Amino acid sequence: MTNGKDGGPVVVRLADVRKEYGDSTALAGVSLEIRAGEAVAVMGPSGSGKSTLLNMIAGLDRPTSGSVEVQGDDLGKLSEKGLALYRRRRIGMIFQFFNLLDDLPALDNVALAAQLTGSPAGQARKRALELLDELGVAGRRDVYPAQLSGGERQRVAVARALMNRPALLLADEPTGALDSKAGEQVMDLLLDLNQIGQTLLLVTHDERLATRCASRLIEFADGRVARESNLERTP
Amino acid sequence: MSAVWSASRAAVRRRRLQTIVIGAVVGLAACLSVVALGLLAASSGPFDQAYARLRGAHVVAAFDPAKVSTDQLTRAAQQPQVEAVAGPYAQAVVEIRGVAGVSPPTSLALVGRADPGGAVDRLNLWKGRWVAGPGEIVLAGNPTDSEDMPLGTKLPVADGPALTVVGIAYSVSGSANGWVTPAQAAALHPTGVQMLYRFQHAATAAEVEAGQAAVTAGLAPTALLASRSYLTLKTSAAAQPGTFVPFLIVFGCLGLAVAVLIVANVVSGAVVAGFKHIGMLKALGFTPTQVLAVYLSMVSIPAIAGAVLGTVLGTVLAEALVTNAFKYWGSDEIGVSAWVVPVVLLGMPVVVGLSALVPALRARSLPAAQAISAGSAQHSGRASRVQRWLAGTRLPRAISLGLGLPLARPARSAMTMAAVVLGVTSVTFAIGLAASVTGYENADPDRAVQVNAHVDEPSAGGTDNEALLRSLPGTKQVTASADLEMLQVGTTAATRVRFWRGDAARERYQVLQGHWFDGPGQVAVSARFLAERGLAVGDTLTLQRDGTRTQVRIVAELLVSSSAVIFSNWATLAQIAPGTEPDSFEVQLTPGTDVSAYVGRAMAAAPSLEIFSGDDTDAFIVIIVATVTALTLMLGAVAALGVFNTVVLNTRERRRDLGMLKSIGMTPGQVTAMMVTSMAALGAVSGLIGIPIGVAAHGVVLPAMARSAQVRFPASVLHVYHPPLLMLLALAGVAIAALGALVPARSAARATIAEVLHNE
Repeated sequence: MTNGKDGGPVVVRLADVRKEYGDSTALAGVSLEIRAGEAVAVMGPSGSGKSTLLNMIAGLDRPTSGSVEVQGDDLGKLSEKGLALYRRRRIGMIFQFFNLLDDLPALDNVALAAQLTGSPAGQARKRALELLDELGVAGRRDVYPAQLSGGERQRVAVARALMNRPALLLADEPTGALDSKAGEQVMDLLLDLNQIGQTLLLVTHDERLATRCASRLIEFADGRVARESNLERTP
Repeated sequence: MSAVWSASRAAVRRRRLQTIVIGAVVGLAACLSVVALGLLAASSGPFDQAYARLRGAHVVAAFDPAKVSTDQLTRAAQQPQVEAVAGPYAQAVVEIRGVAGVSPPTSLALVGRADPGGAVDRLNLWKGRWVAGPGEIVLAGNPTDSEDMPLGTKLPVADGPALTVVGIAYSVSGSANGWVTPAQAAALHPTGVQMLYRFQHAATAAEVEAGQAAVTAGLAPTALLASRSYLTLKTSAAAQPGTFVPFLIVFGCLGLAVAVLIVANVVSGAVVAGFKHIGMLKALGFTPTQVLAVYLSMVSIPAIAGAVLGTVLGTVLAEALVTNAFKYWGSDEIGVSAWVVPVVLLGMPVVVGLSALVPALRARSLPAAQAISAGSAQHSGRASRVQRWLAGTRLPRAISLGLGLPLARPARSAMTMAAVVLGVTSVTFAIGLAASVTGYENADPDRAVQVNAHVDEPSAGGTDNEALLRSLPGTKQVTASADLEMLQVGTTAATRVRFWRGDAARERYQVLQGHWFDGPGQVAVSARFLAERGLAVGDTLTLQRDGTRTQVRIVAELLVSSSAVIFSNWATLAQIAPGTEPDSFEVQLTPGTDVSAYVGRAMAAAPSLEIFSGDDTDAFIVIIVATVTALTLMLGAVAALGVFNTVVLNTRERRRDLGMLKSIGMTPGQVTAMMVTSMAALGAVSGLIGIPIGVAAHGVVLPAMARSAQVRFPASVLHVYHPPLLMLLALAGVAIAALGALVPARSAARATIAEVLHNE
């Protein structure tokens, strides 16, 4: 990990990343850095390349050219298995529609992430219960996703993302499918996480989420970084 | 172009993989159905089919030329009961000396015929050509015989010029051992005149006897030397191909069941997977009936294409299998019955339509909003307790997740499992069948690896030759014997009796019933011999030779398939023909001995012996094993394709879940393991269900085959499912399921899932 020019070490570094799907260009030479402890919001209109950026950093997709480094590792040089291990150990992801397994209760959904690393079921469930407790949904541990409210589902999803203590938390429209009250709760949760040192990258249309949780805003347009600015967090 | 047609075409194009799977499954199922129905149809009365096609004789009669003229015979045959007649043909019995390395000495009943065709007993000249002049012979032989006489072989006739083999022909009537030109037959001093009759009515013994009585009425009472009804031939000749029928019925039924099941599973799965699309069509304004039409068209297009291609392929395969299976009858013309192709061509789309109709009707009645949500609605945890329990086990999580997957779609899993159960049943049954028939072959001493040595002059040197053979390296055991042709009083058939010297044969021949010889006047016979003559162990026979009659008692039933020879001991021979020397030796070799090298050594050491190898694998056994293997592979492939389809549907439905699992670090190997495990679990359960069914089918079919073959299987042949084999078979279901799941599972592991994670 290298130190950035402004404080903490660089966790994510993109250098001239391009991504093309046939004739269309999703990312047109993006370069940016995210440092440890930062909370960065990425905003822009639909089709501007926000989700593609997130996929590149999550190792779900590979750039057509350029490089994506996370904690000093060039993701382009990792095999599919290497990328899976990277996602398992280095990052946590939160999605707009939660992406919980319908067949498993909340506790087992969270424990799953640790069990994939080979943790024994008992140990994984213990850690999962601690996280659910910290996020205020321990009482719903045996409930299936279909019976949880939107806010509860997203809390469970956050707990799952934090299960393996990731260096970077990626969130794709984390409040997009929630009502305003549940959205507020998730914003508070993300802010709290960042304040205890969790590096965050938020992709959102929600300006309120960005200004509330992020310390830096990157605006995308036509697959490029259109503007970068530091934010004053609003309560 | 109608909206329904446009939507159907678009759906077919958009779901390429599903379209291909439906086409492939229906194609393979149609192929299997044609084979199954073709075999079932052909196995119903193959003897009658072949007999009708080759115009087999209902009665083969031999007359004494000294007592009846050919004109009298021709006139006598002009009866209303007679449908067709062939003959008179001159008939002679010639003694053939042994041919070194090819055949032992034998006597042949030869008939003089100008051509192989005619109104009765059309010969299937399947090798070489017909006799064109004197000195030539066409031998009788079955196309399934593993070793036939090479063309060009000169057969040394004991009291005349040699006959050159120019062809091999099959007579469904079994009318002669060989055929020569009429002029050649006249030169061989014929002792009989052959007539071949077909009657208008010959279904029963009484009708055949009535026909025979009509054509012999008015002739001298002693003019008829011998006659044989085709009904006795049918009983004995049905023995080998008849064994096909029980197991072909089992395979036919299994094949049809698997085909229907898989088609139903694939087609209904395709419709269920399209519920969301159905909702969208309704939202666009399609009426429920139009939606139904779209979905029926969508599955019908690939299904019809698959049915046509599968039927063509199945016809080719079935023709090959049926021809092979019933080659024994000597007719090339037993093929797939004409009704099979239209039945499959029409029936398969009907099965497809019915399979699609049920879920399509359900979709038709669903409100649009509910149909749209059916594709992605989150449901409460189904079979959650099991999945919860699995999550807490020490199994790797990818494996425990996989084990729980089938519970999410119980109906689909049940149908997939049913197909795999039938696949495992087929494999279990087939392996047991192959083990039994090869076990029987190995247990039959006639088929064991051995060397037979025939003595040119039995009167001299028998004992010396036995000692010489015993001294050769590679000799394990020598059994000296002498064969005598004797007449069984009460029948017209000659019976060959083999007399063994000493007790050496006792170790080789298994007594199935009764006891080994313990005195003179005793014989041992095969189960088929008993069945053909309606005899039992303990009964007596009267044998006649040179006018002298000897009564013998059947003391044992031996594990021997042939009914042409019966066995006795040297003490009995001493009563019938005292002073007879051994005329042949059966040599059993020590394991690992090179048979041809041994034959070479023996021929060099004992020039007076005609030595040839009896090492041949019964072509019939090979046909059974090959047929069973082909059918099992087809059934296994169809079952695996059903699993393939299920995994394709499951991965499509679970794209979002798979994406999420990948996003939290599930490796491609773990995804593959999870999906393969989900089907392997079904396969393992299928094994537990399918194996007992297969074993039970084996237990029913083997005795039925034994009855058809008129043989008795020893316990060792019937009980072939030993624990190690059962353990291996238990893996058959897992193997079928894992093979079917592997490709779509690997494809799911490699799929890009980024997009699905960010969109609902």
